[in-house]
Amino acid sequence: MSLHLPATIVFVALFLFVTWLGFVAARWRKADLNLLHEWGLGGRRFGTIVTWFLLGGDLYTAYTFIAVPALVFGKGAMGFFAVPYTILIYPILYLVFPRLWAIAHARGHVTAADFVRDHFGSRMLALAIALTGIVATMPYIALQLVGMEVVIGALGFPGGGLLGHLPLIIAFTILAAFTYTSGLRAPALIAIVKDMLIFMTVFAAIVLIPAKLGGYGAIFASVPQEKLTLAPPEGASLGSHSAYATLALGSALALFLYPHSMTGILSASDGNVVRRNAALLAAYSFILGLIALLGYMAIAAGVEKDPAYAAGFTQYGANFAVPALFLASFPSWFVGVAFASIAIGALVPAAIMSIACANLFTRNLYKEFLRPDCTEAQEATVAKIVSLVVKIGAVVFILAIPQAYAIQLQLLGGIWIIQLLPAILLGLYARSCNASALLIGWGAGLAIGTYMAGTQGFASSVYPLSAFGVTIPGYAALYSVLVNFALAIGLTPLFNRGVQPTDR
Amino acid sequence: MASKKAGGGLKRYWPRLLLLIPFFAVLWVPFYNRLEPALGGVPFFYWYQLAWILVGAALVLSVYLIETRITHALERTRTLLERTDAPGDIL
Repeated sequence: MSLHLPATIVFVALFLFVTWLGFVAARWRKADLNLLHEWGLGGRRFGTIVTWFLLGGDLYTAYTFIAVPALVFGKGAMGFFAVPYTILIYPILYLVFPRLWAIAHARGHVTAADFVRDHFGSRMLALAIALTGIVATMPYIALQLVGMEVVIGALGFPGGGLLGHLPLIIAFTILAAFTYTSGLRAPALIAIVKDMLIFMTVFAAIVLIPAKLGGYGAIFASVPQEKLTLAPPEGASLGSHSAYATLALGSALALFLYPHSMTGILSASDGNVVRRNAALLAAYSFILGLIALLGYMAIAAGVEKDPAYAAGFTQYGANFAVPALFLASFPSWFVGVAFASIAIGALVPAAIMSIACANLFTRNLYKEFLRPDCTEAQEATVAKIVSLVVKIGAVVFILAIPQAYAIQLQLLGGIWIIQLLPAILLGLYARSCNASALLIGWGAGLAIGTYMAGTQGFASSVYPLSAFGVTIPGYAALYSVLVNFALAIGLTPLFNRGVQPTDR
Repeated sequence: MASKKAGGGLKRYWPRLLLLIPFFAVLWVPFYNRLEPALGGVPFFYWYQLAWILVGAALVLSVYLIETRITHALERTRTLLERTDAPGDIL
């Protein structure tokens, strides 16, 4: 592959622009960035529109834009589960999170673990929540790098070796620097640019590419028939049907438990901002649905058989489908725009994720266990340093460890993060639930979920559950969180017996 | 989930039942796991789910609008002296 020059120039120019924007963001709605809620939550002052961009930029990551169409490209209909998932996100957001926002706002919580600590009065449960959040998010940040690496590779930079990783290291250094100085304001501002670019790219893709390929009918006609629908279940198994539905539901339940989603929600200025966004963010979902179809467009365009892209597919696998499709369909300068939208799409969530991890570490580990008497300024300084450490960790992770592990860990991350659901949901809605019971449920859920993924060699999170002679393949996260709920609710009366109720 | 009310009861929160509809629509996979009827060459499986993104958004928006109206109505009937909070700044 040789360097695509016009594409690279546009790409670098856009990247420099958002870098400048990231540093300028420190002066946006100027406030004392030595306070954690200013640095790490943007002062909780983001209105409907900024929150829309921030959450959209946060939830629909570069990895989403690469991996979802790659899954559709490789596996067909099963990869489309991202669409029902994205449909279910918003009713859940509407029902659960304005209430969490209100409590967090009233009591000054910065993280989900803060809420749990305050509500259940248990340091250990809060620690469990914080650690789960950090551990589940780390591989997610690393995967943002994968998304970025694919487009940088597709621009024609030599892959592999230290030289091959150089653009990535530079990009992440820039990211680390502006996150350090500007906090959550930087990704919030950059998210606006990112979305403009994404919308342009997707609009061009859904209009120009089908026109080239002979319309949507022709695109679907070129996909092998058996890929277009889920394989019908055979015998006493619910087969792909239950797998599809549970993947969608489990992923939707897990999404807002991720620290970076929580950060996006808690930075809103008002509970109604969260409610409005539950309706307005669906615009992104529609974009995601269209992006998923890019996988089929890549099949119809036959990029996999094109010798020009053979090297890319060898190196990046199905993840190369979308970059190859863009290279084949767009003029070079617009490829630069499209790739920049993906790379910048990696910066925004990576920044928010590292800030969210930093908030968790500072509030729920450092201040809780190490330095309870630290000042607010020290608190903010620790968070800034941790956000750097987290990003260096992600880069080392990607450079030192085979990519397959990052993907497996992210898969496990979904199973782990959903174990926070009982503590959050029961904390918000149930009158009393015992912290020890929740802790046991959390541990059991983690163990069972991890075991289920282990039986699949950590290659798939769909576990074939057998009961009463029927096999129900389903998302291990959903199965394990049911156990978690059952234990948390079932054990509460046992623990509460003879003990003064600790709940408020 | 809609049954777990934050207090205020059915009078205030009934619209939330509407939010259950998307769950039925997309979790019952056998209903839409087929090619026909296609729409402009797009198989049913795809256009059905894409359409539900829009319907789902419309449902959430309706719930928001109805609830806002109910909340305002309840507040007016109470005729409280204190003013309610200003609506969140838009930008």
